[in-house]
Amino acid sequence: MKRRSVVKAALTGATVLAAPAYLRAQSSKKLSILTWNIADQQELFKQEFADFKAANPGVEIEWLDKKGPDLPAFYQTQIVAGTPPDIVDLQGAIWVDYAANGGLVDLTPYLQKEPDVAKRFNADYLKGWAYQGKTYLLPFYVAKTLLYYNKTMFQEAGLAGPPQSFDELLGFSEKMAKAEKTGFLTLNFDWLYWPLFKMNGIELLSPDGKKAAFNTPQTADALTKLAKATASGGVNKISWTGRWVEPNGAFAAGTVGMLHAHSSSYFFVKGQGPWINGQTLGAAQLPGFWSTPTNHGFAISKGSKNPDLAWKFITHVTSDKWASAFFKNRSVLTANLAADNAGLAEMEKTDPLAAAVLRTQIEHTDKLTGNWPLPYDAELKDAFWPEIQNAALGRKEPQKALADAERTVNRLLSRKA
Amino acid sequence: MTAIESPMPRSVGRILRPRTRQTLLLWCFLAPSLVIFLLYRVIPVIWNLVLSFQYWSPLKAAEFAGWDHYEDLWFDDVFWQALWNTLIVIASAPIGIALALGLALLVNADIRGRNVYRTIIFLSYPLMTVAVAIIWRWMFDERVGLINYAARTFDLVDKPIPFLNSFTWALPSVIVANIWQMLGFYMIILLAGLQNVPRELHEAAAIDGAGALHRFTRITLPLIRPSLFLAFVIGMLNAITSFDLVYVMTGGGPGRATEILVTYIYKLGFVQTKFDSAAAVTIVFFVLLISIAWAANRFTGGNAGAVETE
Repeated sequence: MKRRSVVKAALTGATVLAAPAYLRAQSSKKLSILTWNIADQQELFKQEFADFKAANPGVEIEWLDKKGPDLPAFYQTQIVAGTPPDIVDLQGAIWVDYAANGGLVDLTPYLQKEPDVAKRFNADYLKGWAYQGKTYLLPFYVAKTLLYYNKTMFQEAGLAGPPQSFDELLGFSEKMAKAEKTGFLTLNFDWLYWPLFKMNGIELLSPDGKKAAFNTPQTADALTKLAKATASGGVNKISWTGRWVEPNGAFAAGTVGMLHAHSSSYFFVKGQGPWINGQTLGAAQLPGFWSTPTNHGFAISKGSKNPDLAWKFITHVTSDKWASAFFKNRSVLTANLAADNAGLAEMEKTDPLAAAVLRTQIEHTDKLTGNWPLPYDAELKDAFWPEIQNAALGRKEPQKALADAERTVNRLLSRKA
Repeated sequence: MTAIESPMPRSVGRILRPRTRQTLLLWCFLAPSLVIFLLYRVIPVIWNLVLSFQYWSPLKAAEFAGWDHYEDLWFDDVFWQALWNTLIVIASAPIGIALALGLALLVNADIRGRNVYRTIIFLSYPLMTVAVAIIWRWMFDERVGLINYAARTFDLVDKPIPFLNSFTWALPSVIVANIWQMLGFYMIILLAGLQNVPRELHEAAAIDGAGALHRFTRITLPLIRPSLFLAFVIGMLNAITSFDLVYVMTGGGPGRATEILVTYIYKLGFVQTKFDSAAAVTIVFFVLLISIAWAANRFTGGNAGAVETE
């Protein structure tokens, strides 16, 4: 062999080896998948991948999972490097920014071509992945807020059942607040607290999305009531300061009457609260049936070299068969109607309390709120929330807080116009 | 100065003059560090400066933005809060240094087992910051934290204090954790300084009738000024770059109570995907760092870090 050929072969080999694995995975018939905080499902994914490969010979799949806060930074770095994964699991409203800026493949033509795929899903959950009339993700697993209540504390306070209005919610909270006990707690990230406002008829933005619409007497009134209840101990302060572990942990301690949280909280709370069983914990809708979703979905990156294959893959993993397996494995709803109904029917026999909690997630899905598809959702959240927090904790007068929030939000909206 | 034996080949040695040869050799030794400094310090700062005058996101082509991002900062309450918190954290560095000086004086004295004490005090420093943050998060925990447990056991409080969830207590709690971690390091620096103070000076002053306080303020403090400067600069840099400590302990919350510039930069970039705005804050942060380092240098006589060549 000539020296030049040897050098060429060596260089080619070195280049291939030096290329990062995800670059190699982007070559023809290879799929790279990035998921978010679900490494515990490795065994199930292996089976799903094997099944997909059997149906699509020659396909290679590379799967990577990133922990909670790591995924956005990692995915953005991949985008900047020009090597996004073919398929990405996104949560909350983070996808809208990518969709609005052309980073995700529009799945609408695929859904039109294969109408049976859309029919698999709960229409309201599927609608949650649409931006300007185009669908960008398919549901992977879903959750929305509900009201958990401590039946023992309800009985002690002489309360028969969950509250039916905002005022009743605060009234019940006051009744249960004694010494270290508080009446109500809400999670506050990702607009999860928004149903408290929505049930009072409050809108965040004007219908055209160009102006803040929340600075109204109703909002001031609701905020004043929340601040008053917080000061008196009816509403637990952690509602306005805690993240996830703190509020769920506080409810699990058995000293909080009601918890407004998503269904994902249930297993954490149950694990921490030995008092929890079917006789002591209730699961209900919040007054007005409003709830805020925190869903995960599969999107296809615009940079994918195999978008058709990627589509095939996401329809594969969200199929009845694999969605059912996922429900069974993880006890989460998938928005796949057949999988969820079958899973819930089975769960009602084995774990009726968990089934009751999850049942709330497929009811009143027409009343989802706090999930407006805005590309600047994170900025809007940051502009609005600190003032609500200030008012609820009594650090600012509600009217002043709302005026300040309105100024900040309107400034942001005018920048984005 | 002893001439450095040149390891260059004789052919090169014959072509170049001795002085040029020596300069070239020095540059060769410096080159690896300079390349790293250039790649990881200078270029990113220049790139940040450029980025701060553009509209840019991972999915958009860059557009010229003029001063827009800086103007936004002017109206950004979170930026001012983060800047204020950063300054408070910087201002807390002298507290740690003062505590460390006290400890250094103690373990510099002729006491039994002083080496053991030195080791114990230093032990917090090599711990990973994330581990320190987790330890202190549990210490400050409202329900199972040791501090609340002790406070309630001794009837100091009626209700547990939600240290990390309180607008009042969160930042001081983070500062306590930060000082605790750095205390051992400050102590070692100051101890080294104290051991360089000639004993004869103290003895002469004592013979002249100077009291302990006088000897400390007139002899010890002026002579350990370089160590104090070093401790302050390191403390300041550590304080304002303690991203991991803040991120793990409080995530910048509650609200923005513990947000510092470095956590805000991260959030702007990776949570809000506003890398251009994050770049503007980074430039402000850089200017702040330079200003404080310059001020500290001036404060300690203006020649800190100079190499004496006699």
